[in-house]
Amino acid sequence: MPLPPKLQETVDDFASMTREEKLETLIAYAEAFPPLPERLKAIRDKMEAVPECMTPVFLIGEKQTDGGIIFYFDIPPQSPTVRGLASVLANGLNGCAPEEILTVPADFFLPMNLQEAVSQQRINGFMGVLAHMKHEAVRLLETQ
Amino acid sequence: MSYAHPEYLVETDWVAEHSNDASVRIIESDEDPLLYAIGHIPGAAQVDWFSTLQHPLRRDFLTKEKFEEVNSNLGITNDTTVVFYGDKSNWFACYALWLFQYYGHENVKIMNGGRLKWEKENRPLVKEVPSYAKTTYKAKEAVKSIRAFRDEVLKQSNTKKPLVDVRSPKEYSGELISMPNYPQEGATRGGHIPGAVSIPWAQAVNEADATFKTPDELRALYEGKGVKADSEVIAYCRIGERSSLTWFVLKYLLGYPNVKNYDGSWTEWGNLVDAPIEKSI
Repeated sequence: MPLPPKLQETVDDFASMTREEKLETLIAYAEAFPPLPERLKAIRDKMEAVPECMTPVFLIGEKQTDGGIIFYFDIPPQSPTVRGLASVLANGLNGCAPEEILTVPADFFLPMNLQEAVSQQRINGFMGVLAHMKHEAVRLLETQ
Repeated sequence: MSYAHPEYLVETDWVAEHSNDASVRIIESDEDPLLYAIGHIPGAAQVDWFSTLQHPLRRDFLTKEKFEEVNSNLGITNDTTVVFYGDKSNWFACYALWLFQYYGHENVKIMNGGRLKWEKENRPLVKEVPSYAKTTYKAKEAVKSIRAFRDEVLKQSNTKKPLVDVRSPKEYSGELISMPNYPQEGATRGGHIPGAVSIPWAQAVNEADATFKTPDELRALYEGKGVKADSEVIAYCRIGERSSLTWFVLKYLLGYPNVKNYDGSWTEWGNLVDAPIEKSI
C-alpha cells in the first residue's frame, strides 16, 4: 500500500538530502514548531504520552469534519531533535483519515537514512511517536 | 567546607567574561545535539557525543588520532583551557570532560548549571558558529586510571570494593532492563553488579538550576552509602554518560583520589555471559 502522498514526499525529500541538509531541515522544523494551542493545555495530562522519548512528549489527535485527523503536540523547546522528528510525522500525516494512518508501516522511514543524522535512540523515539499517533487513530476510529 | 578541586568548576559569570579569551575554548556537549544550532553561548564550539566523540564502528570512544584531529579543528592547543557545558544537568558535558582527561588534556572545567542556568539568567544565545585557525594538537598517553573495563569491575565486585550504580532505582532493582524511555539501550538481564550501591546521578545536582549540590550535601550523600575517599571507586550507569557526572563529582568536587568510570556499564554487564548479577525485587 502506498504511503499517504505528503508523507511519501517527505521521505523522498530526506532521501535526497546530505547529512547537513537533514540536520538543517530538522532545525528549521524545530524552530517553526507550533506551541500546544491554549484550549488543549487544560487536558495536557490526559493526552497520549510517548514514553519512548527521553523528553516528555504528549500528543492528541482531533477529527475534522471531513474525517481527517489533525495532531497537536506538546514537546519542550529544549528538545529540538524530538520536535524536528515529530514535525516530519505531523507534516506527512495531518489531514489523513485514521485508516490511512494505520497503514503506515513502522519502517517507512528507512529510505530517509536518518541514522546518518541522528542517533539510534532518537530513531526509537521517532518510531514511538508514530506508534502513539496510531493509538490516537484507533481511539478516534472507535469513537466514530 | 569547599569543593576539593574548585578549579574544575566555573560559574556562568566567569564564562561570560571569558567568551573572547583566546586561551579559553567553551564547548557545548548536549544530550540533544540540535540545541547548539538553535542557540549557544557566544563563541562556543560543539562536540556531539554521537557523531564527534564515539568511534564510528566499534563500541568505543574515538581514537587518539581522531581526538587530536577534533582538537585541531576546534583550534585547541595543549595549553587551552577547555570549558564544557550542556543540557540535562551537564551529563554529556561531564562525559566530554572525562574523555578529554582520558587523552591527557588536563586543563578542563565544567560550567556549573550548564545550559539551564545560562538560560534562566537570560544570558545571550547566538546561532553564529565560530571558526578557528587549525592547531597542531598532540594527545598525551591515555590516562587509564580513570577508565574501568569489565575484568576490573568483576574484581572490584569480588573484593567488595565500592561500586556506584547511578541509574534509576528501578533499573538498579532489576524491575526495568533499560532506562525508562530508552527501550533499545537495554540488556538481556536486569539488576545490578553484586555489591553496588544505588546512588542515582541526579541526587548530586539541584533540580532548579542544574548546579552541583554543596560539598557538605555531596559528602553526606556518598559517605552515607559507604562510598568514601580512602577506597577505589567505580561508577557505572547504562552506557557510561550519567556515570561520568558522578565520576566528576567524586573526583573533583569531593577529591577522591581513585575513581573510575566503567563506560561499558549495564549495556555490557547485563549482556555479558557468566557475569554475576544481583536483583532486589
